[in-house]
Formats: sequence, structure tokens, C-alpha cells
Amino acid sequence: MQPRRVALLVAALSLPISAHVAAQGAQAAPGAASGTARAAAPYDTTGYWVSEVTEKWRFRMVVPDKGDYTQVPLNPEGRKIANAWDPARDQASGEACKSYGAAALLQVPGRLHIYWQDDSTLRLDTDSGTQTRLFRFGGSPPPNAAPSWQGHSVAMWGGAEPRDRRDGQGGPVQDASGRLVVAGAQRKEPDHLKVVTTRMRPGYLQKNGVPYSGDALLEEYFDVFSDPYTRSTWLVMTTVVTDPRYLVEPLIMHAHFKKLPDASGWDPTPCRADEPR
Amino acid sequence: MRFAILLLLVFVVPSRPASGQIDLAGEWSPRVYNTHVDIGDYTGIPLNEDGRLRAEAWHPDQIDLPENLCRPHPIDHGLRVSVSQLRITPELDTETRQPVGLRLHVAWQEPEQVIYLDGRPHPSANAPHKWSGFSTGRWERNTLVYTTTHLKEAYLTRAGVPKSPKATVTTRVHRYGNLLTIVFIINDPAYLTQPYIRESSWIADPNQVIPPFPCEMSPDGTIVPAGKVPSFLPGRNDVLSEFATEYGIPLEAALGGAETLYPEYIKKMKTMKVVPRTTTDHFRRAQ
Repeated sequence: MQPRRVALLVAALSLPISAHVAAQGAQAAPGAASGTARAAAPYDTTGYWVSEVTEKWRFRMVVPDKGDYTQVPLNPEGRKIANAWDPARDQASGEACKSYGAAALLQVPGRLHIYWQDDSTLRLDTDSGTQTRLFRFGGSPPPNAAPSWQGHSVAMWGGAEPRDRRDGQGGPVQDASGRLVVAGAQRKEPDHLKVVTTRMRPGYLQKNGVPYSGDALLEEYFDVFSDPYTRSTWLVMTTVVTDPRYLVEPLIMHAHFKKLPDASGWDPTPCRADEPR
Repeated sequence: MRFAILLLLVFVVPSRPASGQIDLAGEWSPRVYNTHVDIGDYTGIPLNEDGRLRAEAWHPDQIDLPENLCRPHPIDHGLRVSVSQLRITPELDTETRQPVGLRLHVAWQEPEQVIYLDGRPHPSANAPHKWSGFSTGRWERNTLVYTTTHLKEAYLTRAGVPKSPKATVTTRVHRYGNLLTIVFIINDPAYLTQPYIRESSWIADPNQVIPPFPCEMSPDGTIVPAGKVPSFLPGRNDVLSEFATEYGIPLEAALGGAETLYPEYIKKMKTMKVVPRTTTDHFRRAQ
């Protein structure tokens, strides 16, 4: 076979596969410029979402009692602050947004509107507390950025990082041909959104004044999937709050949101120190 | 010909679909924060009337029935409510020693669950139901997704909210570095009006040792008299409202239902009757 023919055959064979891979990205981010974070999205996080509170209901759908920090690994200093919580004082002193800071915002029942502000910034608006978070892909927090309720968030598409524990004892995975093999070094592709947030103003992990400090580090992992029973689309997040000042170990929280067809039900509220949302 | 080989490498190799699955095997230490420990706390559960009726009939002394003393939880429940150290290991075919899936082992009562990844079908609908059911899975990018059928009747919470043998559970396992998050999607047409979704996480802990969990029935029997099954008849559960009263929640809200899961319900609760509270530190017994 002549080299030119071989080249044409190979190119023709590879085109549908390459097109399929490209289409996956295009499906996730229509209209995105190639090579951008938006174009690289493994799935579509944009749209309107409503929280579904199936867990920690009594901490989220009502304002819990003062001193109820069950299941939060507070240290003594953190307990002291939680025990001194005074919502009227927070409201009067302009600190009503303390329970709407980045570390706990997505625990507050409400709706989200997520959209691309530009090709490298994913914006998340909440109707509860009327807050905005900006997930900036690439770069790092500016060294002199002033602390804010929502802090500075650096985003990345995660899942393709080198493995952190190896080797030989891995569980079975499927290789490229679908055959089950024991895990070895394999190429991976991004499959989730990871957001790291710092420079937050001190706030509350719960509505009842359970504190996190300005030293807190917030790591969030977002996944999108369709459930097989209702075919609804869900956004699930795992939140890890590390706070050497008030927590004895990182606090892990979860929340999930159901995708909505439109903005109906969007109900903006101000920050309120004595209301669940 | 060299040119052709070069083209083959340039175009075909990078175009192959990425396999990308992640290694889940290892020891995982729980960071499970669980509520739903009180009778009458059905908050956030999309129960239907049948499910609520069964839950209200549950009596805590049922735990002491001889047949219940060593009764394991299904693994989806055991991973949530008990001592839930988790071990994940490859499951090998007994004859060929080739991997066919993954095996989950949990500390309390030592339930085991095999997740088959080799494409085998689920058994017939008439096959026996087991505590951990029958599970088959697949990979969606780096997420292990498996479906469990053939589960025995069990509970959704520690306080008697039921799950029927008609229930199936779809589970999504995602590893984020040394953090493992499992999302359970429980579909129970008998007792739920919609799928019930809940999540838990574990931290990689290579040095974790899961001790044996021997369980034997006491030869002296239990505190429950022989032949008696403790329960509440419909409408006679005299402790049902304690949770709602002690936490200042409308009773109707505490008893669950799909409507109670969404933010709009917060406004509705403001129009509901709340029984005067008898305490504001009920939670302290759990701290």
C-alpha cells in the first residue's frame, strides 16, 4: 500500500473517534472557544438548580438551637464562639451574611443559577442571601486580595491528576477494549469540578453561629449525573472545610441540587441572621 | 511505510477512548455524619403514606428481638448508620483468578457486597433476596456506578423508617484523591414517592484495621418476652411527636414527604402549628 493511501485510510479511521471526543466537549459548553476551561468542561453545570434537603434537615430547613453543633468537629475555641451566638447582634451589626459565606452557602436551602461569565470564569448565583461566587480557572489568589464572604475561588477540572497511591494492589478497572484488568498506569480524563477557596471573611458553618475562621480552606468537588429512575439531572457536591483555628479535623459536608428547566421559583432574599434562608 | 506508522501513532493512539477508571481498593475511614436517630424524625425522607404508617408502628424494643440481635444491615444502610469502616478489594473469579468486580466489607456485622463489573445479568426476579442484594456496575468516566437489586426488607434509618424488598439502590462511588464520596439513590416504589438521595464520605486510611465482629445470641434470651413483638398500633405511638416537640418543628414536617425537601416548604412551615417546646437542649444527649 502506498504511504499516501495509508495516510488517508488512517486519517479517515481516526476522524470519527476524534470527532466523538470533540463533540463531548462541545456538548458540555456550546459556543465555547477551544482550549478554554469552558470548552474543556466534562459536563454541563450551567442552568438553574434547586436544593433538595434530604440530610441534616433540622440544621438546614430550620434554624438550629444555639449550641447545637452535633456532628461538627469543633475545638473548644470554636464551641465558645458557637455558644455565644446572637443573631440579633449579627443582624444589627451588618453581619447577617455570616451564614451565607462560601463554606456554608450551598448548605442553605435555595436555588442556584450557574453560568459562564466568560470562558474561564464559572459564576454561581444563589437566591438565598443573594450571593455570587466566581470560580476562576487558572491562576491563584492575588496576594493582597481583601477577604470577602465568598473568598477567592480557584477552579479546575479534576480527575486527571497523577494517582496518589499505587501500585499493584489496585481494584479491577476496564481497559480501552472493555476488558477487566487490575488497575495500572492508565490515562485519565477530567471528570469533576474542583474548587479551592481561600481569603474568606470569618463566617458560620451553620445558621446557629458555628464558626469558621478567616484561616479556613474550602475544597469542593462537584459532580453531575442523571438518576436512572426519574432521569432528572443532579448536581452533587462534597465540601471539605479545613480550619485549624476552630476545627479539630476537616469537616465534610454534602449537598445535592436538582436541575430545573427555567428560573421559575427564583426567590431572592437578603441575608438574614435568624432565618433558614 | 515509516510515514504510515508515524501517522498511525499520531492519529489512532490518541484517539482511543480513555479508560480512565480509578483505583478504589483500600481501607477507608468513615466521616459519616448521621441524623435520623430519633423516633418520629423522618425529616427529608420522601415517604408515602404506607411508609409513614410502617415507620410509626416501629418500636425500639424490636432491636432486642432474638431474630434481630445479629441481623445485619444491607450495606447501603450499614455504610450510613453503624460503625462503617470500609474495605474495598478486588473480587476474583474463584477458578480463573481473573478480576470480576469489587468487594465491599463493612465493620458492623461484617456485611459484604460484591459488585460485578463483568457484564453478568441480574438474577431472575424470583431469586432469593439477600441482605446485600445483587449488584452489577459500570464505570462512568472515573465514577463507579452500580445497581443493587434483590435486597431484603430493611430500614432507611436507625429509627424504623422502612425500605421494602421492592427497593433498588443505584450507587455512585467517586474518589477525589484521598477522599471517597458515595452517593446512594434509593428507589422504593412501596414506601417512597420519589428516589431518596443521600451522600457519605470516607478518608483513605491504609493503616486501618477492621476488627472481627462476632455476634451471638445470648443463651438467656433477651429482655423481650418470648412470643411478643413490640410495636405501636396505628395512631397509638405515644412518642411519635417527641422529636418535633423537642426541636420546635411542626409535626407534619417532621414526618417527611417529598414536599418537605424543597426550599418553598420553609415558608409553608411558618403557617403550621408548632407545639410549645419542653426543652431547647434535646440535642445535647447526642454530643
